[in-house]
Amino acid sequence: MKLKKDTFLGYIRPDGQVGVRNYLLMLSGTLYANSLCERVADALDNTIAIVHPLGRCQVWPDIRLTFKTLVGHGKNPNAGGVIVVDHFKEAGCTADEIAHEIAKTGKPVEVVNIRRAGGAINATRDAMKAGLSILRKITNMKREEVHVSKLIFGVNCGTSDTTSGLSSNLVVGECVDMIVSKGGRAIQAETTEMMGGEDFMVKKCVNKRVAEKLLKAIKRMEERALEAGCDIRGTQPTGDNIEGGLSTIEEKSLGAIKKGGKSKIVDVVGYADPIGKKPGLYIMDTPGHGGESITGIAAAGAQILAFSTGGCHTINHPLMITIRLSGNKQSIQQMIDTTEVDVSDVLLKGTPIKVAAQRLYREILETASGKMTKAEILKEYNAFAIHRIGVSI
Amino acid sequence: MAAKAVLIDLHDNVATLISDAERGDTVSVTYQGKTKMRLKANRKIPFGHKIAIAPIKKGEQVLKYGTSIGVATKAIKPGDHVHIHNIESQRGRGDLIAAKK
Repeated sequence: MKLKKDTFLGYIRPDGQVGVRNYLLMLSGTLYANSLCERVADALDNTIAIVHPLGRCQVWPDIRLTFKTLVGHGKNPNAGGVIVVDHFKEAGCTADEIAHEIAKTGKPVEVVNIRRAGGAINATRDAMKAGLSILRKITNMKREEVHVSKLIFGVNCGTSDTTSGLSSNLVVGECVDMIVSKGGRAIQAETTEMMGGEDFMVKKCVNKRVAEKLLKAIKRMEERALEAGCDIRGTQPTGDNIEGGLSTIEEKSLGAIKKGGKSKIVDVVGYADPIGKKPGLYIMDTPGHGGESITGIAAAGAQILAFSTGGCHTINHPLMITIRLSGNKQSIQQMIDTTEVDVSDVLLKGTPIKVAAQRLYREILETASGKMTKAEILKEYNAFAIHRIGVSI
Repeated sequence: MAAKAVLIDLHDNVATLISDAERGDTVSVTYQGKTKMRLKANRKIPFGHKIAIAPIKKGEQVLKYGTSIGVATKAIKPGDHVHIHNIESQRGRGDLIAAKK
């Protein structure tokens, strides 16, 4: 089927969001429901599990952050239906409360509580029965042609080297500009990697209020590093960054911030918070930890993410489809199974950024329409990580 | 052998290698596709790493993207490899605060 320019084939959800996948999501409310979610996802077709080590014995702001992140994933339009599982009762993060929020999207949602069901075997049976019925319903939905403005495009980088700031991040930035100029929204995160790039970022803010919000977030992140009482070198930049030629966090930041292109920053949002309806580039306040930052972006409803990686990261989010691109030929040759888009010709042959960006843009639309990423085919789900702001108690 | 490096901003005092350079190799430094200068690499510098294109005194800012990426911890000569052995970050340095306490 030949698509019109700037469109993709997506699943239109009852709340108007558009999914690029149509999974049944087995969403674990607490670590003690992880096995059950994985077992059911293994048993049923077209089903993925989201599991994590949290959801219990966290201080209140921290458990609410876990709650918000899990709700955001249930609401993400790439899930056509959701089954939330918990084992008994987690104050502030029960499966019932999580499902109640997700149900507001109008998509089918069920709850399985392992204790209420009468143990692991009965709960597995209940979840499989509920899953069977949800899958019969959602797999009857057809992909429809929708405009690219329906995309929430996440951008991130990791295992960066100096090629990231000189090629792949610029390519991602150009795609942000293309999608935003057509009425779409984009989310850039990783506040740590804005340290040293404040001047550039402030100029991109749509007004003074947004600029102040952004500067405050960057300052708070730096204070966190200072409070730790240690040198962040070795952590930021990471060992692989240093191997790739990045010497300082400032140098890493100045390359990393290019992922947002020239688009104006319309707002700054908290970790896993939803973004506004207005088209434009949004900044999400997250740490530089790749799994945590992309999990925050997925919770805000992004369907697809471009991950720029000079060193060719293996990262892939289970629900938000992750396209990895690299500008480093040697890394790509070493890690060909984990790289979807090669832009090494930017540095090696002088290919203009705009030309390489067309390649990524096409990959985004094709992937949004159903083309599988290498990580999806290999079932490499490794990047669901909820950010923490408190200790376990 | 000839090696290649790119200069990002005209104010920069370092350029980024886009091929490996052996000690003594001539490195041609380009800015927006045009050759800006040529200099010899004082030691082996790997792909993606930085080469100094101007003298940088100890304590002076190292500039890339036209912006400071840190400070030189020793004198750096043109052709030197510039990395964690001779520059350091000025941001997020909790170690400096801890040392003062």
